[in-house]
Amino acid sequence: MDWKCQIESIGAKLPEKKISTIELVAKLNIPCIKKFGLLTGIKERKVCSAGEDSFSLATDAVNDCLSFSKYRAEDIDMIINCSITKYKGGLSHHFEPTFAALIKNAIGAKNAVTFDISNACAGMMTGVYLAENFIRQGMIKTCLIVSGEYISSISDHALRNIRTSLSKELSSLTLGDCGAAAILERSENNNGLIVSGFTTLSKYSGLCTARQNRKTPGGFMKAKAKKIHQAAISESIPIVHNALKKSGLSFNQISWLIPHQTSRSSIVSGANFYVEHFGQKPKQVLINLKDTGNTASTTHFLALYKYLNEKRFRDGDNIMLLCFASGLIIGVVIFKMNEIVCRYGNKN
Amino acid sequence: MGTKIEMVSVAEPWFNFLPRNSIELTARVARKCINEARINVNDLGLLINTGIYRYKNFGEPAIAALIQKKIGANTNNDTESNRPGKTFSFDLNNGGCGWLTGIQILQELMISKKINYGMVVTGDAEPFYGLSENFNFKTAAAAIILSRSKDSEGFTQFKTYSYPDHPEELTSSINYNYQRQKSKRKNILYVRQKDTYPDLCAMYACESLNSFMDESGLKIKDIDLIIPSQSPDGWIRKVKKIIGSNDKFIEYQKNGKKMLHTAGPAFALKQVWSDNRFKSSKHIIFLTVGSGINVSVAHYFNQN
Repeated sequence: MDWKCQIESIGAKLPEKKISTIELVAKLNIPCIKKFGLLTGIKERKVCSAGEDSFSLATDAVNDCLSFSKYRAEDIDMIINCSITKYKGGLSHHFEPTFAALIKNAIGAKNAVTFDISNACAGMMTGVYLAENFIRQGMIKTCLIVSGEYISSISDHALRNIRTSLSKELSSLTLGDCGAAAILERSENNNGLIVSGFTTLSKYSGLCTARQNRKTPGGFMKAKAKKIHQAAISESIPIVHNALKKSGLSFNQISWLIPHQTSRSSIVSGANFYVEHFGQKPKQVLINLKDTGNTASTTHFLALYKYLNEKRFRDGDNIMLLCFASGLIIGVVIFKMNEIVCRYGNKN
Repeated sequence: MGTKIEMVSVAEPWFNFLPRNSIELTARVARKCINEARINVNDLGLLINTGIYRYKNFGEPAIAALIQKKIGANTNNDTESNRPGKTFSFDLNNGGCGWLTGIQILQELMISKKINYGMVVTGDAEPFYGLSENFNFKTAAAAIILSRSKDSEGFTQFKTYSYPDHPEELTSSINYNYQRQKSKRKNILYVRQKDTYPDLCAMYACESLNSFMDESGLKIKDIDLIIPSQSPDGWIRKVKKIIGSNDKFIEYQKNGKKMLHTAGPAFALKQVWSDNRFKSSKHIIFLTVGSGINVSVAHYFNQN
């Protein structure tokens, strides 16, 4: 039997500590970077303090998610951890056992099968793709997708190395820390996940790379931001087109387009390109950068979480999650908002 | 309908002093696997990398994306038909069970008819040469290609059993080694394995195998081959002792002190694939163990 799948609950955890863009760019003595905040739309980002790391953000996000859910930890059949950074105990990168297994132990999800995936900023969306498939096949009923990103450490390396406004490490300054979690469940009605489609255009895999430092804690990232943005927008057209066709929706029937949150200028120019191509526009394009920055694999679920809590979504809204990640991964998930809005206090 | 193995390939560095780059080695074995399977690389719908210890500990992009580029599998959208590129790739980590978990994901996507062919690659190497402690894993890589079978041949059932009381038996992490002298400060990979780990793996593998047999209605005497993980050292000997079917377990002959990690079961499979024992066997069990402790079991059926 082919089951349906829907997002049941979402949780998030942001660190308390903030760093404003003004504070950050003041550390660089480059005049044209002063407009960085204006271009990116990022006023501040949240960063981990002592005692916080990828693991603590992930587990806190899961506990938050469970507080909105009808499920208890022991009801979870599968846990997929999707974070890029796997820092536990400061900037110690953890390999084995998997983060998912550690989260399972921490929350007491004794019946869950666990594994980690890593797919750059498309991590959580890849998790949705896999979970949907397992649920539709009837293999599991519930899946917890989680990610904890302690990724702001990359900006420390960037601050030491940026010499000009053309530096490949400039995009590291957009990053902020966050944990996010979502429970996907088996559904018997058609409200929920409609379509998910992903592709990796590996021709562009060298445009954004990040790896471990050899001699200093943490890692660093180098990106040809303009090139990757241009490639992502132009190459995503067939994928978006395909997803719309499969879902039976037109572009103007999308109530909320939620793209990967990189910078305001790239989201706006990307949305304009779509409008030009499709001849239609979605009702709203969600930009959630101002207080949190780019939170890597968690951006979509952090945006959903924030807008659910602000009661901005309505039952029946068509949501399109659009992810771009280094690889180059382009992915689309379309779903219909359903009773989840009530769980976040929206009575309408 | 099942998911059958088209080809399995394995690789080790040509010279011990040369390639310690897990990405290059994994790409080499992936190319070899495609050539040996005689399939069109653009038919691959999914590429999963399950290696854990990667060259320079790359965080992004996924190693699978880099390998996809190196083997040339749908690196771009199909511009003629204006269709999206057909290959999706990502990395998966589930310790010593990752390779089998990757195969299970391929199976699920094949059943749902999302893909026709998929490949799981895996490769481990010291991330930074010489910057590790107790890294006893051999530099090795493996690839397996699966396709959708029209009959009952192929993988029929997968099951993972967790024993979460022992997360400390095998741990690994990169920690910053702070030294007074700045030039000596480095990130070091530490692998810590307790002496009791092989015993626990053997005990839980037997328990899991028995549960799997009960659930699937199979009996140990019906099984022709058991393809196990090749690490930790000594666990196969212990599990053979408990189960008592020595000839069914495939153990890859070790060359040196280092163990095969995520590629271990693929090396064992390659051994019986090459000498035709795999194809002449009817019921085959894949039995993997990994940190956590996790045990994954799968049944493969051959229509002789």
